Amino acid sequence: MTTCGEMLMEILESYGVDTVFGIPGVHTLELYRGLQRADMRHVTPRHEQGAGFMADGYARVTGKPGVCLIITGPGMTNITTAMGQAYGDSIPMLVISSTNSSGEAGLQEGHLHELRNQRDLVAGVSAFSQTVLRPKDLPGVLARAFAVFGGARPRPVHIEIPIDVFSQPTEGINRGVPVHASRPGPSPDAINEAADWLAGAKQPLIFLGGGTVEAAPEALALAERLGAPTALTINAKGVLPRGHALSCSSFIPYAPMRALMAKADVVLAVGTEMGETDYDMYRKGANPIGGKLIRIDIEPDQTARNYRADLAITSDAGLAMAALNTALEERGVRSDMAAGAEVAKQIRTDSEAEIGEWTVEHEPWLNAIQAAFDDPVVVGDSTQPVYTGNHIYESASPRSWFNSATGYGTLGYGLPAAIGAKIAAPDRPVVCISGDGGILFTIGELASAVEARAGIAILLWNNSGYKTISDYMIADQIAPVGCLEYTPDFLTIAKGFGCEATRVDSPEALSEALKTAHGRDIPTMIEVMG
Amino acid sequence: MESDKIDMATKTCGEALMHLLEGYGVTTVFGIPGEHTLELYRGIEGSNVRHITPRNEQGASFMADGYARVTGQPGVCTIITGPGVTNAATGIGQAYADSIPMLVISSANDSASLGKGWGRLHETTDLCAITAPLTVFSAMVHNPSEVPELVAQAFTVFGSRRPRPVHIAIPIDVMEMPATGDWSVRTIPDKPVPGKAAIEAAVDLLSEASHPVMMVGGGAQDASDAVTELAELLNVAVISSNAGKGVVSDKNPLSLTGGVISPAVHQYLGRADVILAIGTEIAEADSFIYDLPVNGKMIRVDIDPARFNDQYPATVGVQGDAGAAAEMMIVALKDRGFDGSAKTTQADVRQIAAQQAADYTPVENQHIRVLNLMRETLPDDAIMMGDIAQLVYTGTPAMPTYLPRTWFYPAGFGTLGCALPDAIGAKIALPDRDVVAMVGDGGFMFTINELATAVEEELTIPIILWNNDAYAMIRDGMRKRNIPEIGVTPRGPDFIKLAEAFGCAGTEATNEAEFRSALKEAMARKGPTIIMVREDANWLV
Repeated sequence: MTTCGEMLMEILESYGVDTVFGIPGVHTLELYRGLQRADMRHVTPRHEQGAGFMADGYARVTGKPGVCLIITGPGMTNITTAMGQAYGDSIPMLVISSTNSSGEAGLQEGHLHELRNQRDLVAGVSAFSQTVLRPKDLPGVLARAFAVFGGARPRPVHIEIPIDVFSQPTEGINRGVPVHASRPGPSPDAINEAADWLAGAKQPLIFLGGGTVEAAPEALALAERLGAPTALTINAKGVLPRGHALSCSSFIPYAPMRALMAKADVVLAVGTEMGETDYDMYRKGANPIGGKLIRIDIEPDQTARNYRADLAITSDAGLAMAALNTALEERGVRSDMAAGAEVAKQIRTDSEAEIGEWTVEHEPWLNAIQAAFDDPVVVGDSTQPVYTGNHIYESASPRSWFNSATGYGTLGYGLPAAIGAKIAAPDRPVVCISGDGGILFTIGELASAVEARAGIAILLWNNSGYKTISDYMIADQIAPVGCLEYTPDFLTIAKGFGCEATRVDSPEALSEALKTAHGRDIPTMIEVMG
Repeated sequence: MESDKIDMATKTCGEALMHLLEGYGVTTVFGIPGEHTLELYRGIEGSNVRHITPRNEQGASFMADGYARVTGQPGVCTIITGPGVTNAATGIGQAYADSIPMLVISSANDSASLGKGWGRLHETTDLCAITAPLTVFSAMVHNPSEVPELVAQAFTVFGSRRPRPVHIAIPIDVMEMPATGDWSVRTIPDKPVPGKAAIEAAVDLLSEASHPVMMVGGGAQDASDAVTELAELLNVAVISSNAGKGVVSDKNPLSLTGGVISPAVHQYLGRADVILAIGTEIAEADSFIYDLPVNGKMIRVDIDPARFNDQYPATVGVQGDAGAAAEMMIVALKDRGFDGSAKTTQADVRQIAAQQAADYTPVENQHIRVLNLMRETLPDDAIMMGDIAQLVYTGTPAMPTYLPRTWFYPAGFGTLGCALPDAIGAKIALPDRDVVAMVGDGGFMFTINELATAVEEELTIPIILWNNDAYAMIRDGMRKRNIPEIGVTPRGPDFIKLAEAFGCAGTEATNEAEFRSALKEAMARKGPTIIMVREDANWLV
């Protein structure tokens, strides 16, 4: 007999799921029976928040949904923060949880792990949340989840299954075959209009967001054809190759870029929210756009948020950019890149000058990462060197620089997300950058990394406390309260968890330590005193 | 409070809120400051409120929970919107499940951005919707003048009805506005007292009962004297839930100690013709079975009327405060000249206890050995904070508990990792009492970071770590159901080294004498101490 729990794992396998992150519970035992049959890798975090962040890191590196198996109640509330981070950054994630038995739900009788309404809890951090009341509904619900991941703006999906349903038989259920929903392409009329505008533009400007990470060749071809200076959001780093002449890197919230935005006659924004954490970190308000704004987004409502588009195109980023490129070619557009390159260079130079005062402290350490590896995955927490890197770091490839300073802005993301990234890409060097305040949020995951043989390097930026917040307090004339007076001995903690640990005092030493770390099959903590 | 009114107008909403909370008797808040909550922290600076900083907002809500469990006063958290709230969600959920008063104050994104999906830092689609299932109410403030009313409503929940968490979210722009309106402290009504007719109906049943039983829960924690006197007058055996442990002392010959787990207790309950259940959900999480054998008539005393028609419908529902109800029943029984002394209850209790003791499994007897050592070493009023751990499951029926609000095992929500931060909250609340945490190696890892908080605050907390290198409970379940053991044997870290790294003491107890002296030393040491006991240690097998 195949139970519903076993069938679930078999269907997941048919969709290409090879790894799941979860903590088993009394309520989810049937899933684990299925796990063995499906021959999937199971990674056990030390807290369900870790499961969610690991799945997030896995998804950001691969583009495939990260899958979590958790229990109802505290498992669900524990993972909510990670779902929030994935939701904020449009990351595909499938969270499968148990829920109380169908005869008990909603009665509020005080059952173990009871929540008054679990789906309410996650409604705001998921594309949808669905209860499966009968095993025969499960194949359809999973198909719907994968349709979101593959065909729409990817975001977390939550599926909850009552514990009594997990063990029900599945004989006679038609599972169907996995269908991979394709993303929609652009309307030809809209592309023609956009091409007309861009063909006539004297000073076009392109913004590429996280929605373009699968469309690097299309983005490159389009930018070069237009000769347009091109800014990358934090989640789009690497979509243009490192050092490309048209790249304005990621200085969007600063004066030079804001001035350019006002001056450009046509702005093309592709796969980007144009949201605060990239465009308006200092909350100065929306920057005026002097010319016309074309927005391309997989989600139609997004084109009306933050900056209202003059022309809105609902489409997959790659399909739309390819179509635009063809339409521009038909119109004979072939720009020489010199003017755009000059503008881009000026933006980079002026922006570096504007923020150099505070980035200079971190820059050599970030350079040391690039000195050690050609194409590392750098996973960051909310910490000062990451804030610096979010502007100045240029990634060699997409899906290789990401962190929690964008969107939901969580602390404690870096370590578990780096573990997930390493599990997804075991041969690539994975570097986690975390602060001392942030890493304590999820320090238990060092044990998971040792157990999973994840040879990540952890660059611990130790400035003994919540430095960003105490700086704000001082600036606002508030006596710093609650910014951590006691800092533990991180190197001994790392060793206690079975990791390697060392402190370095120069960027050169950091490069060397990173290379050594990459050769290990356990994590290495490398402490830098900030 | 006239002077407060004048002062507040010159303060920002966030600043004034701290002063208002002080007016309601709040002395401590648990929180992690963020860019979004700076104005609250300006308020802390000018007040006598103590601020404790956990290492994850989950720690803040657990600490507030522990603080509230030992004092009965609301635990207060001050956190940022978005991740701060979702991190705290588990602790809020635990407080909800166990009816613990908790006030969660959070920031929210700029009013103008709410619900628009602009992708603001820390943005959520609907912040209050996240906490709605975890709270009595969850309110978004739009104008500073609403704050005093919402705070008064929160304290009314804590003081006048079934206590549970409340969440008040204040957008950062509102937080910075002047505190307009009337910010004086309002009157909080007492808990309702039962009606006479209900008491008479209950006493009718009780005086006719030939085999009555009493069940007590967390709702009776402040009614220890009255409930004990009532039990003695009725001469009934007392079964307590986890949350009700200590309401009737285990030194009392009528107490069946905690829990409704053992078959001997089930059998006894099945024979009862009248069951007097005071302040208890009679929840599955206490008995691990859905349908307890209840054949007699049920008298339910509860402040929450929803309890009268749950899976154990009441023949008589007495709505009101547990202490008042017990006192009124005592008077009514005495008026009728009730005399229950002929019953052989004490002999029944002794027999059940003997049966229960004989039924313990070998591993439960290992736990009991350690629990007994703890009981011998700790004073009667020591506070014991349990995690979701096998040592603690056994402790529910086996650990003698002598006073209310001293034994805690948050069975309802069932959250791993609660014990250490809950113990921190308890020790902050009652610094002169001994506070001990009991954890398993799996659960401890969930919140081990809070060791840093305990060290920072120099809190004397012995942590009894039961180490079996596994999520043993789940592993046992897998074995029983022929499911391969996946994900249940995590590779354990070196806990003693971790203790040192966090600046606290750590030791392994390898025999009884070592355990005893380690506990005594830990009780005398400034800062937390990990005392590890390995399940496979020679002295236990």
